[in-house]
Amino acid sequence: MSDNGVGLRPVKELVALSPGVKARLGRALALGALGGAGAVAGYVCVAMAVGELFTADRSAGVLAWWAGGAFGCLIVSLAARWLAEQVAHRASYDLEVVLRTELADALAAMPLGVVWRTGAGRIKKIVQDDVAALHNVVADAVPFFGAVAAQPIAALLALGVVQWKLLLVALLVLPVATVSFSLMARDHTAQRARYNQAAEDVTTAVVEFVQGMPVVRTFDDGRTSFRRFGAAVTAFTDAVGAWTATSRRASAFNQLVIVPLPTLLVLAATSVPMLAAGWIEPGELVLGLLIGAMPIESISPLMHLTNYVNDSKAGAVRVSELLAEPPLPEPEYPREPQGASVSLRGVTFRYTEGRGAPVLDDVTIDVPEGTVCALVGPSGSGKSTVARLIPRFHDVDSGAVLVGGVDVREMASEVLLRHVALVFQDPFLVSGTVAENIRLARADATDDEIIAVAKAAAVHDFVVGELSDGYQTQVGERGGKLSGGQRQRITIARAMLSDAPVVVLDEATAFADPESESAIHEAVARLTAGRTVIVIAHRLATITGVDQIVVLDGGRVVERGRHADLVTSGGRYSKLWARHEQAASWGLAGNRVQEVIA
Amino acid sequence: MKRIRRLMMLAAGPYAPQFRATLRISVVASLVQALAYASFIPLLAALAADPIDTGAAWTWVGVLAALVVAEALLRLRESAFTYDYWHLVTGDTRTRLGERLRSMPQQELARRAAGDLTTVVGSNVTSAATGISSFSTLFVRLVAVPALLGVVIIAVDWRLGLVLAVSVLVSVPLLRRLRTLSNEGFRRVDAANAGMADRIVEYVQGLPVFKATGQAGAGSARLAEVFAHQHEANAESNRSASIPVAALQFLVQAAMVALVALGAALVLDARLTVPLLLAVVVAAARFAEPLGAAVTMTKLFEMSEAALTRISEVLGAGALPVRPGGRAPESFGITFTGVGFTYDGRTEPVLEDVSFEVPERGLTALVGPSGSGKTTVTRLMTRFADPRTGVVRLGGVDVSTLTQEELMRHIAVVFQDVYLFDDTILANIAMGRPEATHEEILAAARAANVHTFAERLPDGYETRVGEIGSALSGGERQRISIARAILKDAPVVLLDEPTAALDTESEVVVQQAIDSLVTGRTVVVIAHRLSTVVGADQILVFENGRVVQRGTHTDLLGQDGRYGDMWRAQTRVKDWRLTREPSPS
Repeated sequence: MSDNGVGLRPVKELVALSPGVKARLGRALALGALGGAGAVAGYVCVAMAVGELFTADRSAGVLAWWAGGAFGCLIVSLAARWLAEQVAHRASYDLEVVLRTELADALAAMPLGVVWRTGAGRIKKIVQDDVAALHNVVADAVPFFGAVAAQPIAALLALGVVQWKLLLVALLVLPVATVSFSLMARDHTAQRARYNQAAEDVTTAVVEFVQGMPVVRTFDDGRTSFRRFGAAVTAFTDAVGAWTATSRRASAFNQLVIVPLPTLLVLAATSVPMLAAGWIEPGELVLGLLIGAMPIESISPLMHLTNYVNDSKAGAVRVSELLAEPPLPEPEYPREPQGASVSLRGVTFRYTEGRGAPVLDDVTIDVPEGTVCALVGPSGSGKSTVARLIPRFHDVDSGAVLVGGVDVREMASEVLLRHVALVFQDPFLVSGTVAENIRLARADATDDEIIAVAKAAAVHDFVVGELSDGYQTQVGERGGKLSGGQRQRITIARAMLSDAPVVVLDEATAFADPESESAIHEAVARLTAGRTVIVIAHRLATITGVDQIVVLDGGRVVERGRHADLVTSGGRYSKLWARHEQAASWGLAGNRVQEVIA
Repeated sequence: MKRIRRLMMLAAGPYAPQFRATLRISVVASLVQALAYASFIPLLAALAADPIDTGAAWTWVGVLAALVVAEALLRLRESAFTYDYWHLVTGDTRTRLGERLRSMPQQELARRAAGDLTTVVGSNVTSAATGISSFSTLFVRLVAVPALLGVVIIAVDWRLGLVLAVSVLVSVPLLRRLRTLSNEGFRRVDAANAGMADRIVEYVQGLPVFKATGQAGAGSARLAEVFAHQHEANAESNRSASIPVAALQFLVQAAMVALVALGAALVLDARLTVPLLLAVVVAAARFAEPLGAAVTMTKLFEMSEAALTRISEVLGAGALPVRPGGRAPESFGITFTGVGFTYDGRTEPVLEDVSFEVPERGLTALVGPSGSGKTTVTRLMTRFADPRTGVVRLGGVDVSTLTQEELMRHIAVVFQDVYLFDDTILANIAMGRPEATHEEILAAARAANVHTFAERLPDGYETRVGEIGSALSGGERQRISIARAILKDAPVVLLDEPTAALDTESEVVVQQAIDSLVTGRTVVVIAHRLSTVVGADQILVFENGRVVQRGTHTDLLGQDGRYGDMWRAQTRVKDWRLTREPSPS
């Protein structure tokens, strides 16, 4: 029943990942069933006690026995339900940890490019919220399903044993329940999909409205954004209105029949002639009234539960999808890089797995050990992609990326990442102290080593001079208590501590904070000294002295050489250089405006 | 109870009368339901009589049937609210929330995290609406039916009623305790969740570092720690709440058994008749069942209460007060006179006694280290918040006498971060002035160099920018935002270092775009790269919330001060080169 009504397969697949949890949920289900059956037994005892009162020689002893039985059943039922809840909840909490750890593993194994394209926000939602949403099904619904399944069966059995005629009457209402169940299921998926779409649209509109609000408000008075928001809200309202209009009759029917009173009325009405004819005893009627409505009553909470179960299901699908991301293949016999050269050999790459135009098309670049190579080109030319392929964020479609003369696919990713330091995402800090953040690169580093790299990365001065607790200062979540430039220098210190012989650096992010630019420059200079460096260059002035400039355009290498040669060659680079000179001399000219007016 | 009712009425808004009527119907329907159960008393008396009183029995079956039908009709009307108004309530509440977001002081808006507000306007609204449409009537039913049946049972036999009364009295403190415990549990789990969220984001961002050092996946001690902590918080809050829940359920059920036992004893003593006991047992079962359900529903009730509370907080946020005496400014110089400002919830002022004049149609640059107050100055110009002391004037008019809407008619802002809507390029530019003609939009686009890339796109200006515009480069996005500002044609332009992080190539075109934007207007620019503002009519140097130097570039270089230091540091940077050897600085 639960399977057809709510389709739990995605959730079940996740539960199956942990056999221990699965077994415990089985126990919870059984305990829930025991609880449900126990409650029925309790009612039977009560009815028996009442029945005993009708007999001519009613005995206090028998009565006490039944009352004791009722109490015993009550205790058993409550204890079983309590245990079922506890077992299911604990299993569910354990499952959360299991799944989150699995997800963390999957994230570590999949290409970093895929991880970052998915985005931290979305991953957070999956690892945290979607996994937590499973709780609704696993912890809340499992014991409940046990009880829901056991209660009607036990109730009907008890009725059959005590008085089969009443069982027949109670069974009369079952077709009604079946009809109502099929009504509930009818057109379910289509309706749900329509509603979900509207709900998703409204969420998007809300996000857009809220996020855009501070910016848009200083811009216009928010009229346009408000109109867009209003349109989505109205669309949602209409979609829900349309859905409820078509489903209200079925829902109303359910609400009217999936309640105990109609069943009790039928039982009462049929029992008048049966009692008169002496077919049944009054005590049996009491039992009928106490448990006869149970089969139908146990359905009604299912209606409330459906929404929560659907949330869980949607979450389970997202969790499974992330778990199913193919991992980056690790080599069977990993090799170690020999030296610190970097080369791309005829690399062709697409983000879209074989389809569409390649982002890199037959790119060959050789960066000898200890030299600096600058990648230059307009946005979309492929320079960031080159930088991402070196630490193997993705695998190439054809050709090869070599670090230390070894194909990166033949290296353990741990070894590769230890060999290549990256300074091209937002400076990444963990919540903890300054020292912990630097030590991330090498857990066994001594304090002296940390201070040494901190000095080299221009971190030491502000740590000692500005931070209250020096190296033990807490940096806040993601380093929020520090300025952008300070965060950047700490990540540079970390890269130094790791002592990776290859450095990949994005100038734009490396120098994101104009206010501490000169300090960052010193830090970068010390980091890159003596290492192989690949830099994504934006301001051409900084790279005039590098060993090699590679100019990319449309995914191909169009020029390469040293600054002095390229600038005179009259090619693509010399045009970029001319533009650069123009940009550097730009300034907002207030006086000129005045002159024009005057 | 009263509080929730007030919150619900607030959220129901214009549908409050219908909601109130629904609650009344719910009470009546519950009364009818209780009467239906009560009618089992005479019915069972007739059935258990010896011989059976068939006539009376049929009469009472008839009464029961009538009551069942009556209740069904009432329930239909009760549930009509869900079908007719649930979606309207969500729509109306969202619209009201949206208007509130539009009018609340921007400082207030900035204080709340975007994610938080998204939750309020999104899922909190649906769960509040469900609270109003379903849980409120469910609650009435769960409380009213047992209460009425309790009265009936007391009327039948006060001793049996006493058993129920005692069980209710005992359950009240238990319920209260359950509430406290589950609130504590919520808080504990929330805190653990917040910590976990940060660690997950951290993990994703730092994955290369973690992988390089064997701290990824199962080896991640930092993740294992928060997962375990979260596990513990969950288990602990579940454990602490499970005891009162079990106690409550036991209490309700035990009362039922006690009732039967006591009833039987009374019957044996001939102080109660068997049919009456029968009836009481049936009624008592109906008394116990909803109370048990109420306990398990607590969580749902609390969720919707939390949602209602958060909605009412946002709805209750007042708009920025507008002082009397406002008039439309006719000239467009800006003056700050003795302005001091402190952000809400902070003690240190960000601006102290700041006075300066931005000449009309002149270029004024704000420079200084981050945290020195530059951004706050531009915020006060746009009425992000009102100054604590002093006055900000636009064309001689105190800006606090203008609504933010009136004020913003005269000001265009270009930020470092561009926000684009998921719509066409054309629509994004048109936002600058919704009533602009197609030609005017294209003219603005051309002036901002949008034309050069828009024409190359497959659908030209009709190309959708995609969610958060990831399909466009930073320079292209920036040019769209400048086109908006050009289209707006406001006499005052505020620029927040709009070319800070662009590629060389796009930088030139963005610079050209800015040139067309600022011509002939009053311009205030926040500048990090001093070279871009050497031509300014006036440079204000900020430090620690004060203006420490002012003058033209030449004036300031001649003085010995902060500006000279900054200029020299930046010139040094300009000469810096990335080479194999450490720089010779």
